[in-house]
Amino acid sequence: MSENLLSVRALHKSYGSFHVLKGIDLEVAAGEVICVVGPSGSGKSSFIRSINQLEPYQSGEIRLHGELIDPRKNVDKLRQEIGMVFQSFNLFPHLTVLENLMLAPTCVKNLSKRQAEAKAIELLTRVNIVEQKDKYPSKLSGGQQQRVAIARALAMEPKIMLFDEPTSALDPEMISEVLNVMKDLAKSGMTMLVVTHEMGFAREVADRVIFMDGGLIVEEATPEEFFREPKHPRSKLFLSQILQR
Amino acid sequence: MKSFLESRLSKGALFILATFLGFALLSFIVGKLLVFLPEPIGSRSDLFVQGAKVTLLITLYSAVLGIVIGTLLGLAKGSPRRWLSYPAFAYIWLIRGTPVLVQILFVFYALPVLIPQLQLDEFWAAAIALGLNVGAYNAEVIRAGIQAVPLGQTEAARSLGLSHTKTMRWIVLPQAIRIVVPPLVNNIVALLKDSSLASAIGLLELTLAGNRISSETFLPVPVLSTVALLYLIYTTAITVVTHVLERTMRLKAHV
Repeated sequence: MSENLLSVRALHKSYGSFHVLKGIDLEVAAGEVICVVGPSGSGKSSFIRSINQLEPYQSGEIRLHGELIDPRKNVDKLRQEIGMVFQSFNLFPHLTVLENLMLAPTCVKNLSKRQAEAKAIELLTRVNIVEQKDKYPSKLSGGQQQRVAIARALAMEPKIMLFDEPTSALDPEMISEVLNVMKDLAKSGMTMLVVTHEMGFAREVADRVIFMDGGLIVEEATPEEFFREPKHPRSKLFLSQILQR
Repeated sequence: MKSFLESRLSKGALFILATFLGFALLSFIVGKLLVFLPEPIGSRSDLFVQGAKVTLLITLYSAVLGIVIGTLLGLAKGSPRRWLSYPAFAYIWLIRGTPVLVQILFVFYALPVLIPQLQLDEFWAAAIALGLNVGAYNAEVIRAGIQAVPLGQTEAARSLGLSHTKTMRWIVLPQAIRIVVPPLVNNIVALLKDSSLASAIGLLELTLAGNRISSETFLPVPVLSTVALLYLIYTTAITVVTHVLERTMRLKAHV
């Protein structure tokens, strides 16, 4: 058995007749930061959403520290160890910022209110937003909401964090505040799988860059290699298009 | 555990309690005022009050039953499990496709023939029939309310490890409630008016009380106008309370 934290083997997924993932294999070691890049429609989001079973897939297996994730058996348990951050934040609008962070720890892990609150305050301080703890999400800017969403996922003390285009719905001036939080998180040793269009972030933070196109992993390289001399023609084309902007 | 969320529930319970007390007070005042009305209302105000009390109680019981049934059926009808959604679909189809008067008559006269143990008096027969009826209408409202909560909310909750049931309980239903309150109140207002159909099985509620006084005194215009006015007071009161409720919920969270 591999010692890897996350292991994906031969993952296939179709939406009806559209074959969106055509056999994805990926090993993620503990502490690794991986950025998944590629053109839209390449299956990046479907892939990352399959990992914690938000998307059903037709074949393949996904293991978290060796344990096979089975949607009918252990999915609720293993999801507690997989943090997820969405493009559209998805904060709970009927709960305050603090309550957004306290809900899952109290309701799933049976933490006391006091323990959950202490943890929540610690995390909100870490993402630099603790002064907003009693506000409702609708009162916050997009960048603030996304930082709260990161803290909410961290409140469950996950082993790995998945980010599905975390800055794509943000106004440009708010992107860096979210990326800075993610950089700090990466430095703290968190295992991260990040679908992103932020090439600067990928270059600076990633241990490995994965380029996806047409439902396959086309190229896998260190950021230095990938951005200096991409090997695959499709990676070259993608990078040239992105960098032209 | 979860006490920070349950404090919300107790606030909700307090609001409902205050509403009931408000209605009791309103009925008391209306009863006192009726005495001062000219003949034949003033002298028979006790019968009006008695009728109004039965009407309000039957509305209360059938509304509670209807909300419980509506929530269960609404969840069942929206469920991906067919053994839940098909019976819910059939129930709603049956109830919405037949007249409520027939349903009241059926519960009172036909049910005891089919099941001799179910010998209900007029009050409970009407309350149950009306509750079963409004439950079917509520189910559609609640199913639509649940579907109106964005899918991202469910995904966020599930990705934190919440089970399907906990996601419904703590994330989807609290948000759906804000969406369903106005149409549910519409159903309760309709229910209050439909409760007049219970007069058909001899339940002495507001309509039957008015009808009796009217035929005893041969003065249908003042008597039936008073009956109509009393219904109007209560339906207006329900609507006003709902507006207050909607406003406070919106102010709190801007959902």
